[in-house]
Amino acid sequence: MKWVATAWDGLSGHWGVDHPAVLALLMLALLPLLATPFRRGGVPAIALIPEDRVSRLMSAALRLAGMVAILALVLGMAGLHRREQSVEREGTGAHLVLLLDRSSSMDNSFADRAPTGDQESKSAAAKRLLTDFVARRPHDRIAVAAFSTSPMPVLPLTDHHAVVDAAIAAIDRPGLAFTDVGRGLALAFSYFSEDTDESSRAVLLVSDGAALIDRRVQEALRDAVARTPVHLYWLFLRSRGSKGIFDVPPPGEDTPQANPERHLHLFLESLGVPYRAFEATSPEAVGQAITEIDRQETRPIRYLERVPRRDLARVAYLIAALCLGLLVIAKLAERRLMPSRLPDVRASAIADEPRRAA
Amino acid sequence: MTRRAHLIARDGRFWLLVLALALTLAAIGAPRLTMAREARDLILVIDVTGSMNVRDGRPGGPPATRLSQAKEGARRLLAGLPCQSRLGLGIFTERRSFLLFEPAEVCENFSAIDGAIDDLDWRMAWEGDSYVARGVHGAIAMAQGLGADLVFLTDGHEAPPLAGGELPAFDGEPGKVAGVLVGVGGTEPSPIPKFDRDGREVGFYGESDVPQENRSGPPPADAPSRAGYNPRNAPWGGEAATGTEHLSAMRAEHLRAIAAQTGLGYAALSTPATVISAVEAGTRARPVEVRVDTSALPAAFALLSLTALFGVGAAAARRDPVHLH
Repeated sequence: MKWVATAWDGLSGHWGVDHPAVLALLMLALLPLLATPFRRGGVPAIALIPEDRVSRLMSAALRLAGMVAILALVLGMAGLHRREQSVEREGTGAHLVLLLDRSSSMDNSFADRAPTGDQESKSAAAKRLLTDFVARRPHDRIAVAAFSTSPMPVLPLTDHHAVVDAAIAAIDRPGLAFTDVGRGLALAFSYFSEDTDESSRAVLLVSDGAALIDRRVQEALRDAVARTPVHLYWLFLRSRGSKGIFDVPPPGEDTPQANPERHLHLFLESLGVPYRAFEATSPEAVGQAITEIDRQETRPIRYLERVPRRDLARVAYLIAALCLGLLVIAKLAERRLMPSRLPDVRASAIADEPRRAA
Repeated sequence: MTRRAHLIARDGRFWLLVLALALTLAAIGAPRLTMAREARDLILVIDVTGSMNVRDGRPGGPPATRLSQAKEGARRLLAGLPCQSRLGLGIFTERRSFLLFEPAEVCENFSAIDGAIDDLDWRMAWEGDSYVARGVHGAIAMAQGLGADLVFLTDGHEAPPLAGGELPAFDGEPGKVAGVLVGVGGTEPSPIPKFDRDGREVGFYGESDVPQENRSGPPPADAPSRAGYNPRNAPWGGEAATGTEHLSAMRAEHLRAIAAQTGLGYAALSTPATVISAVEAGTRARPVEVRVDTSALPAAFALLSLTALFGVGAAAARRDPVHLH
């Protein structure tokens, strides 16, 4: 019975109908077994008719034609189609989680003040450049997560970039107060916990600041990275005057509380996975960093290319028309068994009143 | 006319066959008509505050939190929207509606949007407060900016309660943004689950755990009659406020008041499918053109004539015995 289920899955996975209720009419296909469109003629004894395989085949074929015509019409009416299919192809790309900072400091310009007319806020710059980035990487599967005061899953991993664009478009809306980057990273890693694919996995963290990561969250992050190795990229949108990730402060001031960005950088380096940080101080630098990431993440990926649905109703009607044409031809070729000596008048009288003639 | 042609011409079954063939050919050549359907552009905002964790699932059904009911309703809505509709998703907590993604086309992005709704969790909330009226006002402004209509799923539980029980002022234009408030939850006050720092459930909120009265702003008019009232030292009276704010029921009256203030519609979520009818009644439709195939109509008549052909034949075969000419 297993092969039946497999076969059914195969069928239902590739084919579909729009109106399944119409399929109840398929029962009508039994009618040609009960009746024929041809005249029935009686003979006194079956023994009179010689055994003729061609006749039998012809009779079966005509019944079959009637059944197929009905089946095809019903399937056509039910909207038979081949479903949208996915074809697996190889390309370059990655499974990518965009982890976006939605804290309100992202709404400031790179000079860390409210943007004036000709300046771009950090979030607006990030939005523009990330949109370009996504557009340049058509084969990536992308998920989006946001973090601020709390981590927020926005989109699961998806091939559909229109909705990813919609999620990126939302990042320049007013943000929230805090930057809980640790739990944000934990959320980003969790996207890969069930991802068993061979392809390259990357997390792109876009933020303009960092915060202390709780020791317990740090441990959880180390665990998660050990389970599913990822590539980490941190695009740090550095505002003017704020501390950089790579600056080493004088001894005694190098505490995580005073330099959370630098210590987040050190922590991410210590995770033991490929990691790069980009410090972007202007929209142009952000663009360069994204180009660099684009260059790095070019491992082969198997992606699904979609073949659109194909309607088969017309094909079904064509088959029905062929069967019906066959029946019409057969009907035109129909002859009556009758004694040749009978005059025409009687013949037509018999045709009119076959029941009485019997 | 020859005898045979005459015979065929007088045979109804022949004409039924020809009719079926002609109709089938007509079905093959049937035109695709352009018809207008009603697509919608929506922003769906779901309340994820603490009171949405109350498990007062549908009567008779299994216990379900209000949030999971709201999510189920939202997913039904997503599945029920015609193609070319667009849906954006936001969450409400504290006093803000927070946009997760802007409206995106629902058919193309179905699984992603469905997954995003499914991923909504009370842990996304960043504060225990729940200023529903302000959240609705914010969501209206957001929807207006996006040119979409608003669907706001909430239980209407304000925490802390509104000062003096009055709605905050709405500075938008009522009715400018169409939309609907969908009330989630039962009408019986139920206890609100309480979670510890790690997200484990540790019981329910008690009377003293939540503010029972909003003591910001001027004191209410009845304050002088309260026990222990002192205009300077105890303007709200001398005793701690008591009340039932630690229990939560769906505040239909409050939601109706917000709806009236902002020109939105209101509907209670009795079954998941009510979201769809509420949205159809309360939001604007955008006519979009879809191609409709008309081939099923001639095909149906072709099938009818074939059924007549074979059906009559079958009935006749049953009725008369085989006859001899």
